[in-house]
Amino acid sequence: MGIVITVTSGKGGVGKSTTLANLAVGMADEGKRVVAIDFDIGLRNLDMLLGLENRIVYNVIDVMEEKCNLSQALINDKHSKNLYFLPASQTNDKNILDKEKVKELLEVLKKEFDVILLDSPAGIEGGFEHAIAYADRALIVSTPDVSSVRDADRVIGIIDAKSEKAQKGEEVDKHVIINRLKPELVERGDMLNTDDVLNILALPLIGVVPDCDKVISSTNMGEPIIRDDKAESGEAYRRISKRILGEEVDYLDLSVKKGFFKRIFS
Amino acid sequence: MSLFSGLFGKKETSASIARDRLKLVLAHERASNALPYMDEMKSEIMEVIKKYTQVKDIHINSQSNQNIDVLEMEIILK
Repeated sequence: MGIVITVTSGKGGVGKSTTLANLAVGMADEGKRVVAIDFDIGLRNLDMLLGLENRIVYNVIDVMEEKCNLSQALINDKHSKNLYFLPASQTNDKNILDKEKVKELLEVLKKEFDVILLDSPAGIEGGFEHAIAYADRALIVSTPDVSSVRDADRVIGIIDAKSEKAQKGEEVDKHVIINRLKPELVERGDMLNTDDVLNILALPLIGVVPDCDKVISSTNMGEPIIRDDKAESGEAYRRISKRILGEEVDYLDLSVKKGFFKRIFS
Repeated sequence: MSLFSGLFGKKETSASIARDRLKLVLAHERASNALPYMDEMKSEIMEVIKKYTQVKDIHINSQSNQNIDVLEMEIILK
């Protein structure tokens, strides 16, 4: 039986879909059968990050409205036979998601896949609630800046209130991913550090992804950075993928490397 | 942190200002958003009380000490 993991953030533009795309590839590479679902109805995104935009025929709403079979809508990744993708619909109707149908779809997918990754829309509107309602786990992505952390805090409260698990008295397993950390700025005292963010959000960490220019070119090409062996951010995503699957992995050393003299006189 | 700022006490950095601002704003927001079920619960309690007596309003306050959360309810009768 697969588990449902929702990737969410509160604030938009913090790298939520990029994170999801990378973790989807990462867990598929670890041998898990993974399906990534774009739940950001109306604003399709994940397809381009995975480089699968040209293969879309049907979308997640078509499946739920039984306009097609699940197998017709699922798109297999270019590189991994373990990874499938279910695109968002581009309808303008924000209220098109039906809670019961979401549940039905997830139940079917749980039988076929080990991991079901849901890309939640930013904000706290309807689509977000659907993405969180049936989550077993939630990964909250935040960059180390005040507005992102503030919105993440808000979203954490809503996960606790709105998820089916929480309503049954169980708890959704929640972890923080800190994205786009710039070690030089942290060192200088010009960016919140990992401990600051974790103290404020009062949740455990599952990974820190350093800010990395290579992510932009990898996004341009529709090849998640995790497939780049040399990128530090790719390595961070590989480690997070393993941690999600229960493996204990060391954290990347993100301290700024500098010489003795520079350390004293800086 | 360099040797000099280390010697002469903690310099206020923009990150520490960010941390303090966040803590302040979140302390405030958490208090007001802590119970998203509040409105619904209030109206349901109201319905129950109406079965027995006439009620004008209900005030529910939440308080948390270090390890207990308390809901305080005041029922104002007509």
